[in-house]
Amino acid sequence: MTGNFGQRIIRKDAFDKATGKAKYVADIKAEDMLYGVLVRSIQHAAKILKIDTAAAREVNGVEAVLTSADISGEITHGALIQDQPALAHQVVRHIGEPVALVIAKTKMAAQKGKERVKIAYEPTEAVFDPVEALKPEAPKVQPSGNLITEYHICDGDLEAGFSQADIVLEDEFSVQRISPGYLEPEGALAEYSQDGTLTVWVSSQEPFEDRDTIARVLGIDTGKVRVKSAVIGGAFGGKEDPELQTLAALGAWKTKSTVQMVNSRFESFVGHPKRHPARFFYKIGVDSKTGKITALHAMAYMDTGAYASYGPAVAGILTETLAGVYHIPNVKVDTYVVLTNSPLSGAMRGFGAPQSHFAIESLIDIVANKIGMDPIELREINILKPGDKLFTKVPLDVTASALPICIEKAREAREQMKQLIAAPGKVTGTGVALAMQTMGLGAKVQDTSTHRLEWLPNGNVRLYLGAPDLGQGLAVAAEQMAAEALQIPYDRIETICVDTGLTPNGGVTCASRMTYMSGNAIIRAADALQAELLGEAARLLNVDVNQLTYHKGEILKGGGAHIPASEITSRLAEEGRTIQKEGSFSFPYPKEKTPDHLPIGMPHVMFVFAANIARVEVDLALGSVKVTHLVTVNDVGKVINRLGVEGQIEGGAATGLGYALFEDVALKKNGQWVDGFTEYLIATTKDMPELESIVLEIPEASGPYGAKGVGEIVLVPTAPAIANAVFDATGVRVKQLPISAEVLLEGMKKRQTQ
Amino acid sequence: MQTISITIIVNGKAISLRCAANQTLLDVLRDELGLTGAKDGCGGEGECGACTVIMNGKAVNSCMVFAGQADGANIETIEGLARGEELHPLQKAFIDAGAIQCGFCTPGAIMSAKALLDQNTSPTEEEIKEALSGNLCRCTGYKKMIEAIKIAARGGSANDR
Repeated sequence: MTGNFGQRIIRKDAFDKATGKAKYVADIKAEDMLYGVLVRSIQHAAKILKIDTAAAREVNGVEAVLTSADISGEITHGALIQDQPALAHQVVRHIGEPVALVIAKTKMAAQKGKERVKIAYEPTEAVFDPVEALKPEAPKVQPSGNLITEYHICDGDLEAGFSQADIVLEDEFSVQRISPGYLEPEGALAEYSQDGTLTVWVSSQEPFEDRDTIARVLGIDTGKVRVKSAVIGGAFGGKEDPELQTLAALGAWKTKSTVQMVNSRFESFVGHPKRHPARFFYKIGVDSKTGKITALHAMAYMDTGAYASYGPAVAGILTETLAGVYHIPNVKVDTYVVLTNSPLSGAMRGFGAPQSHFAIESLIDIVANKIGMDPIELREINILKPGDKLFTKVPLDVTASALPICIEKAREAREQMKQLIAAPGKVTGTGVALAMQTMGLGAKVQDTSTHRLEWLPNGNVRLYLGAPDLGQGLAVAAEQMAAEALQIPYDRIETICVDTGLTPNGGVTCASRMTYMSGNAIIRAADALQAELLGEAARLLNVDVNQLTYHKGEILKGGGAHIPASEITSRLAEEGRTIQKEGSFSFPYPKEKTPDHLPIGMPHVMFVFAANIARVEVDLALGSVKVTHLVTVNDVGKVINRLGVEGQIEGGAATGLGYALFEDVALKKNGQWVDGFTEYLIATTKDMPELESIVLEIPEASGPYGAKGVGEIVLVPTAPAIANAVFDATGVRVKQLPISAEVLLEGMKKRQTQ
Repeated sequence: MQTISITIIVNGKAISLRCAANQTLLDVLRDELGLTGAKDGCGGEGECGACTVIMNGKAVNSCMVFAGQADGANIETIEGLARGEELHPLQKAFIDAGAIQCGFCTPGAIMSAKALLDQNTSPTEEEIKEALSGNLCRCTGYKKMIEAIKIAARGGSANDR
């Protein structure tokens, strides 16, 4: 196999990254480059009475100070709802909202200019809790109200289901706001050309969407905007919003120069989307003799912050996963997406599933404890099986057979963990959680990906990858699949990563979909490329095309002649021609899997499954939790690059662990947000457990070589597995994330006095 | 703004320059010398380790060192590690072990690891974790970085894992 699937393949960009040569947006330096700095709102909610830019304009080196009055196109943009002003217009709705843009010749002058912009605010009442924000007396974040989306799905007969149960429990859970926490803060560099066009280098998951947004806000034709991907320092969903690329473009357009903008870490915290905080209210009915869950009602309230961003879409996946991986005959779910004056929330790795799984996987353990059943056994009794329908009426196929394997592996792992003895002063426990993650953008949404292959005169094949590699290693997987499709060695593939002027539109790198989408598109492009090569060879060799066959980068002619592809492509080059073919793939949403009763973006029809088994040690005096061991089970369909899959699992575990134990973009008592890595802790080397990764390969029939997506599922079961282990260790059920030492100590104290 | 004159030895080469008194060593490396391998990940708060360089044999956050404090110091950056195309064993091990994903934290992590191995040729796993504990990474979960440092320490390759 020329694609070397399943092997540990070294990515081609690793050399530049290891030597410091890789150019991220902040590393690009253009001649006479200007620097753009934002004046951001210091108010949670306020009317803007006046913006005085006169003093800022007088600062030596300041070239321009722009406000929303300088926007000639549409003043708002937004992923799903056009509700977010590029620069605040009349009001501000959260701390960190961009109000004015200062552009100067040096960073220092820009900073000085920023300090001299005077903004007069009239503060208004703010609201921060999604349930509070729905009350009639709550301040309105937008004039049209705070409820922007609601989903209600019902399957079966809820009342009948609860009447069949002898145990009915109600419980509440909440999850916090977390930051994507990529190490590279957001940035963009926009260059104005004398011919009236813009070229914008971005650190973004969706350069084509960026191009369209920039054009809309500037009020110019999309043909005048070219967007190129710089090297990207991580994204995790957080780089699907176009703030800086739009503003750098605006600055470059107005000053007719090159403008670089890079967020500080503080700005990244308050100005850029996060994982949605949410509150859950559950009611569950179970037959305690059989362990069968008979009914489930879940209500979810999501705080999307001051603007919608991807909130309604995140809510879709959150809604679809509220019942977890369980087959429950009677289900009702109600989800509300609510505006508040928090910094906006949007896409982040898992996209709603980590939130819902913390709730449902905690609840399953609570039920097991209540009826005196092993939590793994309760799961086994209720898991979804191939052929079962989800409450969305989507039928599951054979890939759901990953779940019983997850159960089996969980039993084995837990057994081994139970042999380990707790350190002195500590108690130990184990916890299990199962999970499912959707793939793709959802039904009724444009979900297409296009890429191109070109056979070069030197015999190499160039891949025009239409979607960005976020750092996770998309390019190497795409190259491996291109090599396999053309049966040529992997090192003969060279890649140009997304450039709207050069590559086709591969769509957004998100939703666990890009290995799957790009692979399928590349296979189609490779088939077309082979056919084109044979056609050109027939013409040049003056033979009938039926006498030629393609084999491993060569053309076979009757009589045993082998003609290398390069012989044909170099002759074509002499004629001034090349062989290039695009391949396009649309995510399949077959009619039988997409009932009409659901709103746009729903349902999702393809799923990946996983389990996490965690062992924790809890310090009885400090209340601190240390995850000592974590076993992960993930079904990936097919391993393309083993290094990439392992990297996703190991990195996902770190983020899942941080979600469970310490990450929280909280509103502090002083009215400010947690906005830096001093207070916002992410996992370090010292926090990481001993990690074992079990990778299952149950092929997805529609996947390229059977592959599915692994980018998100890896962290979905981590937090509930840890919470369940903490309960096993201490008897304290923590129902809100992160699991803080304070809450745990208080819980342990309460248990002692009971 | 007050300016100062400093001389620093960067990757074995003495460089004299004038810079603003409030500039950090990171600013000097990136903006004045064009050495952009060291990154700014936390806004100059010394929280993330992406700007780690070696100063007089010790790993430091270059965003926490004023240019004036670096006057006369011997500075090693990621750009000085390879000899032409020949990579430093740590760079090779990071690549081979798959310790690099987005790569933004990589230069800082490699410099922290080098400072460790320069002092201690056979560190324990705990010592490696300690040396790397100031280098935040959101992509890798650190496992392959730690493996890479072990591989480099024993002068081996990723294949004999």
